[in-house]
Amino acid sequence: MNPVVMQLTVRGLLGRRRSVLLLILPALLLGLAALTRWAADGSPSASAGLTGDFAMGTLLPLMCLLVGTGVIGPEIDDGSIVYLLAKPVPRRTILLSKLAVALGATVVLAVLPIMAGAAIAGDEGFRLTAAYGLAALLAGVTYTTIFVTLSVLTRNAVIAGLLYALLWESVLGGFVPGVRDASVRQWALAAAERVLGPDAAGWGVQSDVSMPAGLILLAVVTVGATWLAIARLKTLRLTAAD
Amino acid sequence: MSGDVIHDIGFRHYAGERLGRGWVVRSLLIDTLRGAFGLGRPARSKVMPWILVAILALPPVVIALTVLLTGGDELPVSYTQYLTQLQLPIGLFVAGAAPYAVSRDLRYGVMPLYLSRPMLRTDYVAARYGGLAIAVFLVMALPQTLLLVGALLANLPVGDQLAGWAGGLLASLLLAVLLAALGLAVAAFTPRRGLGVAAIITILLVVSGISFALSGIAESRDRSELADLAGALDPFRLVDGLTAKILGVDPAIGELTPTTGGQVAIFALVYAVVVGACGLALVRRYRKASGL
Amino acid sequence: MSAIVLDKVSRWYGNVVAVNDVTMTVGPGITGLLGPNGAGKSTLISMMGGFLAPSAGIVALDGGHVWKNPEIYRRIGLVPEAEAMYDTATGAQFLLANARLHGLADPGAAARRALELVEMVEPSDRAIATYSKGMKQRIKMATALVHDPAVLLLDEPFNGMDPRQRLHLMDLLRRLAAEGRTVLFSSHILEEVEQIADTIEVLVAGRHAASGDYRRIRRLMTERPHRYTLASSDDRALGAALVADGAADGVTLAGGALLVQASDFGRFVHALPRVARDAGVRLRDVSPSDESLESVFAYLVAR
Repeated sequence: MNPVVMQLTVRGLLGRRRSVLLLILPALLLGLAALTRWAADGSPSASAGLTGDFAMGTLLPLMCLLVGTGVIGPEIDDGSIVYLLAKPVPRRTILLSKLAVALGATVVLAVLPIMAGAAIAGDEGFRLTAAYGLAALLAGVTYTTIFVTLSVLTRNAVIAGLLYALLWESVLGGFVPGVRDASVRQWALAAAERVLGPDAAGWGVQSDVSMPAGLILLAVVTVGATWLAIARLKTLRLTAAD
Repeated sequence: MSGDVIHDIGFRHYAGERLGRGWVVRSLLIDTLRGAFGLGRPARSKVMPWILVAILALPPVVIALTVLLTGGDELPVSYTQYLTQLQLPIGLFVAGAAPYAVSRDLRYGVMPLYLSRPMLRTDYVAARYGGLAIAVFLVMALPQTLLLVGALLANLPVGDQLAGWAGGLLASLLLAVLLAALGLAVAAFTPRRGLGVAAIITILLVVSGISFALSGIAESRDRSELADLAGALDPFRLVDGLTAKILGVDPAIGELTPTTGGQVAIFALVYAVVVGACGLALVRRYRKASGL
Repeated sequence: MSAIVLDKVSRWYGNVVAVNDVTMTVGPGITGLLGPNGAGKSTLISMMGGFLAPSAGIVALDGGHVWKNPEIYRRIGLVPEAEAMYDTATGAQFLLANARLHGLADPGAAARRALELVEMVEPSDRAIATYSKGMKQRIKMATALVHDPAVLLLDEPFNGMDPRQRLHLMDLLRRLAAEGRTVLFSSHILEEVEQIADTIEVLVAGRHAASGDYRRIRRLMTERPHRYTLASSDDRALGAALVADGAADGVTLAGGALLVQASDFGRFVHALPRVARDAGVRLRDVSPSDESLESVFAYLVAR
């Protein structure tokens, strides 16, 4: 981990217009959570509905996309990443430092607000909060890593990431059963389902995948994506900004 | 040495006919329209629009087959309901096409090149807007037309289907105008590559989620008129609410649409205000000569 | 004293060969990489800088491979072509970050020294976004110099510079080369290369067309006769005497000057003063009219 790289990355992530979206979205979620609590008198099912559908299904992938593409995408795009690459710092270190910043931002800006939202909207002894917190953490780590890797691989990472996160996981996942087995969200929800135990079905927290399978798949995809990103960064070709 | 001529093969002046401003605007509009579908652009920019068009065009075929086989006498999904159900691919199309229309010019700073032609700033905005709106309209009209064809082939009553189809096209038109305005306004302020796409689709999804959540909350508090009004936040529900009342068709979400004249008036007002505000924001964005 | 050695280096993209079997050694002093646009200069510099792998051949710095070896950046300073920098930081902050990334013992002092070298000390407290193009170029130079590298690679460094900035940069490069560094810069503008390069390497269509001091290259091109412009007290008599002597192949009287064509350079140079003295002609001006880099270059490109 290189602190200078991390510092530059943090500054770049927060100093752009991107950061406006990154700060508004969690605030909106918390506002909605408060309203949900007022409306449903703090029932965990309503809270699970808000958190499972809106927060986990829409907000989390989008935030991870904004964060994951934001830590390295613009620098590769305008060529200023050369200032990091032309240094006696191993490429592996550069990528892991940026990934660390992205994961930190995901936790602070997405995972924690999701947990807070679940707690605010209604919970029973913080069990829902813990379950969704775990699911959001697992899914967030994997999503963010995937999107960072996509940013290193292609200039159109945002579009590719959107097509995956939204079309693959939400739309197709609704129509084609097999797709749900290859979905980060389902893998992460498996952990949440296990944590809640018997209450899971009652509150609408369900996954098509068993927990061991889900965890293994999450780990494989995360590690694989990281390795791929490092390998690609070692041979990155700096074309002039096109 | 005598009698030789040196020919002037240097810069040639053009003294022929010059087509006017209208032609310039028309050309830019057509160019925007074609580019939204990736025509005249490299292959990788055709991927997203055509995947989305395919996703939108497939269900009508399936629906028509279903009706044919089950022998119903009306479509399971109406022409206007279809739009709301497939709001994600439609939103993604706008999210991809709007940055293509305006973000690239701002990013590379080529606005002075455009504005040094016989074209005003407002012409540029109008051409881009028109091209995008027509593209979005086509993306929605195509599946609706396929639905009509399927319905006719399934021997459903012609008159009803044609009326429904025309109403659906009207809804598509209203929606296209609104989505194009929103998309362009966001894209004009996010020139960075990829940020406009993410911002537009995020805004559409979040606004939709909030709108439904608010409706749900209002419903559980027995304030159903507020639940109906919450639909004004979401472009798709907004247009759906307007057409439901105007055309008398079945709305997409049943109970959560405006029923009284007052509510419809509010919806119409919101529509006009949003489109107007986006247009104003766009014109102001391009006010400075270089567009920066 | 560091040297970059290229040994039979080639780079192709599918069917397109960008660099074709180039062998050269870039040593201390200023080397100008010259070639028309599209000749492969940027590709070659990318390979030397470790940002592109050669398809064939070896690029080595002091014996060590350059590709996939981040340690070489301790000894190489790259001035990138990219315009963009970390706009939100100030000049001083950006240089400090660069110095720290290099792992220098005293990054603050190194950054200050680099700023002084490029004369950017006063504006260093402003954000880079507020800099003019020339100032950004100077900051780029500073980032390449902050770690005191033995080798400096510049890709078209004079692009977009006004005359004053160009003079300043040339002066800076001369000073750096005088300290024993290896400086390589690419350009397609002959005047720039002419003014400061000790050695030129000419790249044409990916091939290494010529290498060395351009005056000596000129002399190597014996197929074309040397041309000289003479001004004297009696051109006609001098011209006749030169032809009679056999030192010149041809003379032309034009525009108040005597144009002489001589294929045997050595003989001409020795014969001229003698012939002039014998003919009683006073020489006022003797200048080679095609020893400029331009004519050398045109000849090499036309081949």
